[in-house]
Amino acid sequence: MKSLIKFFSSVKLAIVLLIIITCASILGTLIPQQRSAAEYAVRYGQLAGLLIRLQFTNLYHSWWYNGLLFLFSLNIIICTLNRLSPKFKRVFQPRLRFETKNINSLKIREKFRKNWNLARTREELGREFSARHYRLKEEKKEARSFLLARKKTLGLFGSDIVHLGLLIILAGGIISGLGGFKADLTLFEGQVLPVPKADFQVRLDKFETEFYPDGRVRDWKSTLTVLENEKPQLSKIVEVNHPLAYQGFAFYQSGYGWDWESPSLEIWVKKRKDPSFLRKLEFKVGQRVSLGDDDIQLIALHFLPDFIINDKNEITSRSNEPNNPAAFIEGWQDEQRIFSGWIFAKFPDFARIHSEKEMDLTLELRDFKSSQFSVIQASKDPGVNIIWIGCGFLMLGLALAFYWPIREVKVILEESHGKTEVTAGGIASKNRDAFQSEFEKIMTSLRRSK
Amino acid sequence: MSESTLFLVTFIFYFLAAFFYFSYFFSKKENLAKTGFSIAFIGLLLHTAALIMRTVESGHAPFTNMYESLSFLAWSAILAYVIIEWKFKIRKAGALFMLVVIAIMALASSPLMPKEATPLVPALQSYWLWLHVSVTLLGEAFFALAFVTSIMYLVADSKEKKGKAKKTGISSEKLDSISYRCIAIGFPLFTLGGLVFGMIWAYYAWGSYWSWDPKEVWSLITWFVFALYLHTRIVMGWKGRRSAYIAVLGFLAALFTYFGVNYLLAGLHSYA
Repeated sequence: MKSLIKFFSSVKLAIVLLIIITCASILGTLIPQQRSAAEYAVRYGQLAGLLIRLQFTNLYHSWWYNGLLFLFSLNIIICTLNRLSPKFKRVFQPRLRFETKNINSLKIREKFRKNWNLARTREELGREFSARHYRLKEEKKEARSFLLARKKTLGLFGSDIVHLGLLIILAGGIISGLGGFKADLTLFEGQVLPVPKADFQVRLDKFETEFYPDGRVRDWKSTLTVLENEKPQLSKIVEVNHPLAYQGFAFYQSGYGWDWESPSLEIWVKKRKDPSFLRKLEFKVGQRVSLGDDDIQLIALHFLPDFIINDKNEITSRSNEPNNPAAFIEGWQDEQRIFSGWIFAKFPDFARIHSEKEMDLTLELRDFKSSQFSVIQASKDPGVNIIWIGCGFLMLGLALAFYWPIREVKVILEESHGKTEVTAGGIASKNRDAFQSEFEKIMTSLRRSK
Repeated sequence: MSESTLFLVTFIFYFLAAFFYFSYFFSKKENLAKTGFSIAFIGLLLHTAALIMRTVESGHAPFTNMYESLSFLAWSAILAYVIIEWKFKIRKAGALFMLVVIAIMALASSPLMPKEATPLVPALQSYWLWLHVSVTLLGEAFFALAFVTSIMYLVADSKEKKGKAKKTGISSEKLDSISYRCIAIGFPLFTLGGLVFGMIWAYYAWGSYWSWDPKEVWSLITWFVFALYLHTRIVMGWKGRRSAYIAVLGFLAALFTYFGVNYLLAGLHSYA
C-alpha cells in the first residue's frame, strides 16, 4: 500500500500519463470514431477487426482511455495531498526561529543597524508592513525578535485549487455519463409527447423557419409548452443557443424535417385534345380520387422530395429537402390500370407516364403540402452544474497560481546597546522584480525614518 | 475608406514594421527598432479601426469565417507583442514575430479565403461567440509569441554554446524567461476562452458541454502540452532547451487546433 502511494505521488508518473493520454487523444482524432464496422473494413482492411477490438474506434469511451484518466486522477489526488500538508504547515505553523544564515542564503536581503531600541524599530517595521497589507507573525527570544511578514498566502494554493477544479470537472463528467441521457423528440405542431424519464409532457405550439433576404436560414423557432397533468406550466420559444430548461431537463432546437409519407398533392389534369378541360385535384398520397367523367380514378402511390436515379439504377430520394419533388401516379379505369408514372413539380415537361393505350391526359404536379416537424433534443445532465463549479475552481486556481504569488519577508531584530540590528530577507517564487522593489522600499523607509 | 482598403493599409504598415525590425536585427541601431515599434503600433490602431468597421458593416463579431478570424488573430498577435515589448523590451524578437504576423495576414488575404461577410448561421448567433473566440485567439497570440521567443532562445543558446554570442541584444536566459511569461499569460486565457467558454457555449448551442469533437480534443491536447511545459518547469525545474522544445510543440498543437482541424478532420466546428 505504501509503495503504491509512493508510486502515485510521483510527478514523473503524472508527466508520463499526460504524454500517454495526449498521444491516445491524438489517435482518436485520426481514426474516425463510432462509425459502422463496414466503414472501418473499407478504410482499414484487415486491421479493422483489431482496431475495433482494441476500442480504438470508440476510443474516448473505451475502458482503457477512461482507465488512464482514472489513474491520472488518482495521481493528481495523491500528488496534491502530498504537497498540501507542508504547505499548510508553512502557512499555519511557520517556523519562526530562523537562523541568520537562512536569511543570508536568500537572494533578496538587507542588513543594517538602526539607532532605535528593538521595541521602536519593531513598531515602525510593523507599520511599514501593514501599510502594504502584510500580516505579521512574531516570536521573541531574549534580545531577539523574529518576524515573519506575509501576504497573498492563498497564492501558494493556486495549483492545488487548479487540481481540485480538474477533479471536480472529471467527477462532473462521470456523473453526466452515468446519470445523463438524451432523446430526440419529433414533434408536429399541436402534438404532445411525454418526455422520457420524466412525469411531464411537451407540446409544440408552433414551428417556424426564418430566412435572411438572401434565402439562408436565420433561425428555427419552436414554441414549446411544458404540460403537467395536461396543465401548461411554462412556454418558451426554443431556438438554437436558447434552450428551454425545466426540472433539470433542457430542450434544444436540434433539427427539423417534413413528413413525406403522406403529403397532400395538388395535381392539374388537362386533355391534349380539349384545351378547355382542366381538373384541379387535391388529395393525399395513398388516396384514390375520381376524375369525374370517364370513370378514371387517380391514385398517388409514392412521393419523393428529392427524386434521383442512383448509380444502381434505383429510384430514391437524395435528401429530405424538397429539391426535386416527384410523385408516382397511377390511373385506373374499370379495375384496370391504364397508366402509371412519375411527374415532377419542377420539370412538368419531363413527366414519364406509361400507358397501354394512347393517352389523352396530361398530369402536372402543381403543389404539395406536407407537415413540417421540429426535432427537439430533450436532455438531462446532472453533471453540468458540477462542471461549472469545477471550471470556477480551475480559473480561480490559475489566477492565484500565476497572478497572486505569495510574498514572504523574514526579519530578525537584535538589540544591543540601545541599537537594533535588522537582518531581513525576502522570498518570491514569481515576479521577483516587483517584489524586490517593494522589499527595498520597506527597508529604505525604515532606515530613513526618524 | 472601405474595410478592405484599411486592411491592406494595415498590412503595408506591418510590412514596414518588419522592414525596420529586420534593419535593427542586422545593424543593431536602437532607433530602427523604435521606429519599427511605432509603425507596428500605428498598424495596430488601423487594424482596430478595420475590425470595428467590419463589425459595424456585418452586424456581427469580426471572426465568423477564416478570413475574419485570421485577421483577428493577427490583431491579437500585434496586441500581445505591443504589451510584451512595452513590459520586457524584446526588440530582437520583433523581426521574427513580424514575419509570423505577416504570414497570418498573407493567409487572410489569400484568394482561398472568402472575404464577404455572410449572415450568421443560427449556431453562431450568441454573445458567447465574442467571448469564446476573442479570448481563445488572444491566448493563442501569446502562445505564438512564446513560440518565437523559444525559437530565438534555441538559436541564441546554440550560439552561446559555440562561443559565438554577441554581447548586444538579449541573453538566452532572458528569452527563456520571456517565453515563460508569455505562456503564463496565454495559458489562463486559452483555458478560459477555449475550454471553459467553449464548454459553456457548447452546452447552450449543442446540448452537451463536451462531445469529443476533433476541435475540442485538439484544444485539450494543446492544453495538455502547455500543462506539461508548466509542470516540467515549475515542479521538475526544467529550463532552457527542453522547455523551449515543449513551447514550440505547444504552439504547433494550438496552430493545428485552430487551422488543421478544419481542413483535415471533420467535426462540429465547421465554421472557422
